[in-house]
Amino acid sequence: MKNDTIHLAGVYTRTVMRSWFQYSVDAILRSLAVFIREAVGIVVIYFSMLKFESLNGWNIHELMFLFSLLFLTYGILILFFTGMRDFWKTVRDGSFDRFILRPRGLLFQLIFSNADWFAAIGHGGLGIVLFLISAGKAGIVWNAGTVIYYILAVIGGVLIQGAMFVFVAALNIYLLQTDSLVTLFYWDMRKFAGYPISIFHRAIQFCMIYVVPFAFVNYFPSQYLLRKEDMAGYPAVYLYLTPVVGVCMYLAAYGFWRYSLRFYKSSGN
Amino acid sequence: MLFFEDVQKFVLSDINIHVPQGISLGLIGPSGSGKTTFLKLACGLLKPTTGSIHIMGRIPVKKRRELGSMMGAFFADLPFFQEADTVEGNFRDRKCIYRMEDAVFEKEYAELSERLDFRSFEKEQVKQLSLGQRRRAELGALFLTKPKLLLLDEPYEGLDQIGKDSLRELLVQRQAEGLTFVISSHNMEEISALCDRIALLDQGSLRYYGDRELLLKHFAPNEVMEISFSGNLPDLEDLPLKRYTLQQNKLTLTYNANYVTSAELLAHILEQTTVTAVTTRKSGLADAVTGLAAGMGKTTGKEEGE
Repeated sequence: MKNDTIHLAGVYTRTVMRSWFQYSVDAILRSLAVFIREAVGIVVIYFSMLKFESLNGWNIHELMFLFSLLFLTYGILILFFTGMRDFWKTVRDGSFDRFILRPRGLLFQLIFSNADWFAAIGHGGLGIVLFLISAGKAGIVWNAGTVIYYILAVIGGVLIQGAMFVFVAALNIYLLQTDSLVTLFYWDMRKFAGYPISIFHRAIQFCMIYVVPFAFVNYFPSQYLLRKEDMAGYPAVYLYLTPVVGVCMYLAAYGFWRYSLRFYKSSGN
Repeated sequence: MLFFEDVQKFVLSDINIHVPQGISLGLIGPSGSGKTTFLKLACGLLKPTTGSIHIMGRIPVKKRRELGSMMGAFFADLPFFQEADTVEGNFRDRKCIYRMEDAVFEKEYAELSERLDFRSFEKEQVKQLSLGQRRRAELGALFLTKPKLLLLDEPYEGLDQIGKDSLRELLVQRQAEGLTFVISSHNMEEISALCDRIALLDQGSLRYYGDRELLLKHFAPNEVMEISFSGNLPDLEDLPLKRYTLQQNKLTLTYNANYVTSAELLAHILEQTTVTAVTTRKSGLADAVTGLAAGMGKTTGKEEGE
């Protein structure tokens, strides 16, 4: 049974990749377009930062490292959660009904039946580039301990954001139109997450830690590796919580999703 | 096999129906009468507001996955395939989703692609197919997994003549092997040729459920006989005819087959004149539905006649 599930995931993934990479030039250009779109924002910040010594004690390399986690986690995340991000489309065009009629798990089908590979390459690629630029210069001591910490933090960061997508998809069952909600809670909040949260007003900090916890995606993991002074304003235990927050949030979102499915109504009629 | 008890949902009200295994049910009624809602309830896409539904002893919305492996459902308005993938690719996905053995899959695929004639475009992407081609492939995919129950919503829509013929053959053959199916359609002639039972929905209520023959007999008992004769015009006074028309030497008689048989009529006429040609025609299902739509008025009319 277990092997069978992995096999099916493989079959789905092959199908998805075939359709995304059917036209290779198109695939390269569109991935590049995503990469450039995201990179331009970073370049602007990079040149602005050249004029300043630091931002609340963070130098330019440390800031780039902060960004790299954000892009890297999104690059991985979108391979698994495109179906949740675009759930409202799936409902609207009736594909979700098709999934319901099949003898397989719904979340499984949503996760593996689509993956935005261009976003994955664009965001993930930028994440890797930023990591390579900054990881050496930001003064991180890389040893077995920090490497393991880093990997767990990335997994945690993926789960935290994945949970947000699952949560919004579940909300979609009640509200039918949630793309503006995604823009507000995910994309707009994410704009704050590129910077050390200590530079923001208290209310925003609160949001970033307890409401839409992007702080656990990149700020606290970076703090563990960089140990900047502004960490003094937060409980030290937060440095270690990213994987825990990730798993807890994901389980909660999954529970909410399962509960919400009871209220799903087929479209049409 | 399929069991609805006091089901209420949207336009549908007080639906009680029981379809035993191996029976084919034709679902007819004007658009908006609840046919699609009925089928969506049966496959668990919708939950009844009140009442209960059991499919193979299970509640569809609760045993979605278990039932999904044993039944197939087709809705003309729902996407069925992955658009960007090829026809064959979609079939192979389905093989994995439904956990089919390789050998079984290859055998079924070869047979279905032959019968529904989609071998020639199996390597093409679904989005490039014409509607007729797409429908044939979709129906093939439905039969692939050998379901015990098939729910088909307007499967004839967009299907070309070859497709219609193949679908009918497949349904008949699979029914002989134990398949139960429910098919909704506007095309009553197709249904009347195919289904053992008919359910007639009108504005959400079940106006008739039962044998196809009974429906025909009850609501469209009329037959039409055309007689060409040479010689005297026969005397028709004593015959229980609904009406007759005379055109030169051709007589058209319309009568209620419940009261008089064609043999009796013909015998009576042969006594009086020389008949050169005879044809009789039974009313179709469409006439029956019209009769039913006319409703109670017609029934009471009949009682008065008696």
